[in-house]
Amino acid sequence: MSCAGNVSMREPDATPRAVRFGRPLFIRIDAVHKAFAARDGGAVTVLDSIDLDIAENEFVSLIGRSGCGKTTLLNIIAGLDAATSGRIAIGDRPVTGPGQGQGVVFQQHALFPWLTALGNVSFGFRKAGLPREERRERSLELLRLVGLEAAANKYPREMSGGMQQRVSIARALALDPQILLMDEPFGALDELTRIELQQELLRIWQARRKTVVFVTHSIDEALMLSDRIVLLAPNPGRIQRVFVVPMPRPRSRAEPAFNALYEEIRSELSS
Amino acid sequence: MNARLARIASSLAVIAVLLTAWELAVGHGLLKAYQFPPPSKIARGFVELSLTGFPTGVSLWTHTGVTIWRVLQGYVAAILLAVPLGLLIGALSVLDKLSAPLIVFCRSVATLSLLPLVIVWFGAGELTKVVLIGYGCFWTMLSNVIAGVRYVDPTLVRAARSFGLQGPELYREVVLPAALPRIFAGARMALGVGFMVIVGAEMIGTIQGLGALIMEARTFYRSEITIVGMLVIGLLGFLISSGLAGLERQLMPWTGNLDQVRR
Amino acid sequence: MSGRALRGNDLTLGVIGTLAVILLWEAAVRTGLVSPSVFPSPSLAISAAAERLTVRQLGENLSWSLLRVFSGFALGALAGVVVGILAGWYRRFGLVVSPLVELLRPIPPLAWIPLAIIWFGLGEPSKFFIIFLGAFFPVVTAAYQGMRGVDPMLLRAGQTMGLSGVPLLLRVAIPAAAPDLATGLRIGWGLSFGVLVAAELIAADRGLGYMIIAERNAGGSVGVIIVGILLIGVLNLLTDAVIGAATRHWVGRWHGS
Repeated sequence: MSCAGNVSMREPDATPRAVRFGRPLFIRIDAVHKAFAARDGGAVTVLDSIDLDIAENEFVSLIGRSGCGKTTLLNIIAGLDAATSGRIAIGDRPVTGPGQGQGVVFQQHALFPWLTALGNVSFGFRKAGLPREERRERSLELLRLVGLEAAANKYPREMSGGMQQRVSIARALALDPQILLMDEPFGALDELTRIELQQELLRIWQARRKTVVFVTHSIDEALMLSDRIVLLAPNPGRIQRVFVVPMPRPRSRAEPAFNALYEEIRSELSS
Repeated sequence: MNARLARIASSLAVIAVLLTAWELAVGHGLLKAYQFPPPSKIARGFVELSLTGFPTGVSLWTHTGVTIWRVLQGYVAAILLAVPLGLLIGALSVLDKLSAPLIVFCRSVATLSLLPLVIVWFGAGELTKVVLIGYGCFWTMLSNVIAGVRYVDPTLVRAARSFGLQGPELYREVVLPAALPRIFAGARMALGVGFMVIVGAEMIGTIQGLGALIMEARTFYRSEITIVGMLVIGLLGFLISSGLAGLERQLMPWTGNLDQVRR
Repeated sequence: MSGRALRGNDLTLGVIGTLAVILLWEAAVRTGLVSPSVFPSPSLAISAAAERLTVRQLGENLSWSLLRVFSGFALGALAGVVVGILAGWYRRFGLVVSPLVELLRPIPPLAWIPLAIIWFGLGEPSKFFIIFLGAFFPVVTAAYQGMRGVDPMLLRAGQTMGLSGVPLLLRVAIPAAAPDLATGLRIGWGLSFGVLVAAELIAADRGLGYMIIAERNAGGSVGVIIVGILLIGVLNLLTDAVIGAATRHWVGRWHGS
């Protein structure tokens, strides 16, 4: 997959690496623009001049109405899609494709149906070139981490939606990615499972210290999980506002701070 | 729409290139004209076959008509027998279980292998061919009718029951319409089978019909006539299956893609 | 559809039904309702066959038939799989190959017999070719559709794990297309088998099909013909059952939602 055509012609950034929360910047999204050719010959702008910087180990959520381009932005960070113009870099290197340390969890689990849970997770270890026994060991370890060690030999079709998503997360972790990109991973699950998996995700994130970019359309979910919430507006997709969530974890929906922020975001969304 | 036109255009282009290359190859002696009659010769053969006929007097249309007529007779007879029988067997689970292995077996018997037997019984005339086609079509159609009736979505049946439908009324109002797509798929498959059978059956001991035509032509070294015959057979098969598919869409606009129906 | 397990009484009923028909058949002939020279009962047919044929003859014809169908199918299926997969994965190749296949597909394999004889003469190669065609078309179609129908999400998942190009094809696309491929192979086998018999009837000097028609031409026993027919039917069933079991093991385990 080749990267974008026109790269921004600005001067290379001479300022020292900016820091946020005392951590170096990790993902830099610079004036990213994404357009598709429309059927009538015109252009449809999906993302318009997105500037966003994400620090290492930060948990950032992207939220917004349908059509605001949040999934497109995620795909661009993942290297699965190319920006029409602008720069995007992970660490020091520009993003040129997938497999550069981006682990992706899709909404539709996208597990390989012909492999067991263990097989799917091991697949993520393929690239590491480890011997068979070690791959197995590490995969079991990850399955243990997501609480599915007992289901190691089950096929995806034998598992519930929640289980499938957990295997999906384990598989993404097998790549030992620097970034975890998640596209509404809990969207298709029932409420209770969703809450359970949110807590699991936080636990894993705190244990493994990854940078997470999380797409959701649930304000509630974003508030439970993130350090920052980026609100995107549609037509064309652009950053409307960025919210900082300073509450310490574990967070409770009963907290007044939680509800205050919720209301603020909600009214911003509907404006 | 654009993409579709582009595909058709490129397909035509590929075929055109192939035909041209073929013509040139024969012209320059790279391919033997007997084994690979060039498109020009095939075209001439087509004209001859349509006007004068081969053997003389029997035109392409006569051959085609004879073949179609034979298939039609066998096919219609098979459908008329298979549908009521299938509906009956499908309705009564006991009958289905009793007859299942037998039906599967009879379906597995290669229809053409019956040819010698049928000749012993009915001689070498028209009836033999019709019976053979009928046999092939019958078992395919029967299996599909039974399957159509038995494998109706249980959710539909439950919904119908909740409206107070049961027994024969349930069967008529819900099961039958739900089974229609599968029954039609069976009709399509059966016609395909009938078609395959007739082509083979006509290759032994007949002088009229498309199958006979292509065999005869070979005996007289008229390879281009054989190819014309083959193309007509192919075209016929194609028209029949798309015709039936179109008919299905007309009669049952609520169904989706039926090409995925498996036995 | 595949969920229904075979229960004990389903099987017994089936056996009862079949036995009933066989007994009726036998009775009809014994009581004189049906003339034994026209439609011999199972017992008569088998004894007549035992008289006319030696085990060696039967074995020889059987072997020839099986050899033909196995080799023709193997090559036809292999060609079909390779061409279908490549045509489905590489768009340009697909654009060239697809019209040719679609053009030739409606022509039933048997219709190729005269042409096969023109190309290859009257010997083995022409029969091999017909059986090859019988397997090729269903398999190439199934492989092509299978490839085109691969869930793009799976391909994306593979890409995020660093796969692209040929490894992506081999490790993700082909396994994903496996269910369709398996169905195509099963249909192709059934077709090859049917084609085999017909081809042997029409133009051969060995094999089960030949055995049947030779018997008829020699004005011999109807029993032999019937035994031959039944044997072919049983073989077809058995081989199809084997393919079905293999498919269920390799694919059925994980396929389905």
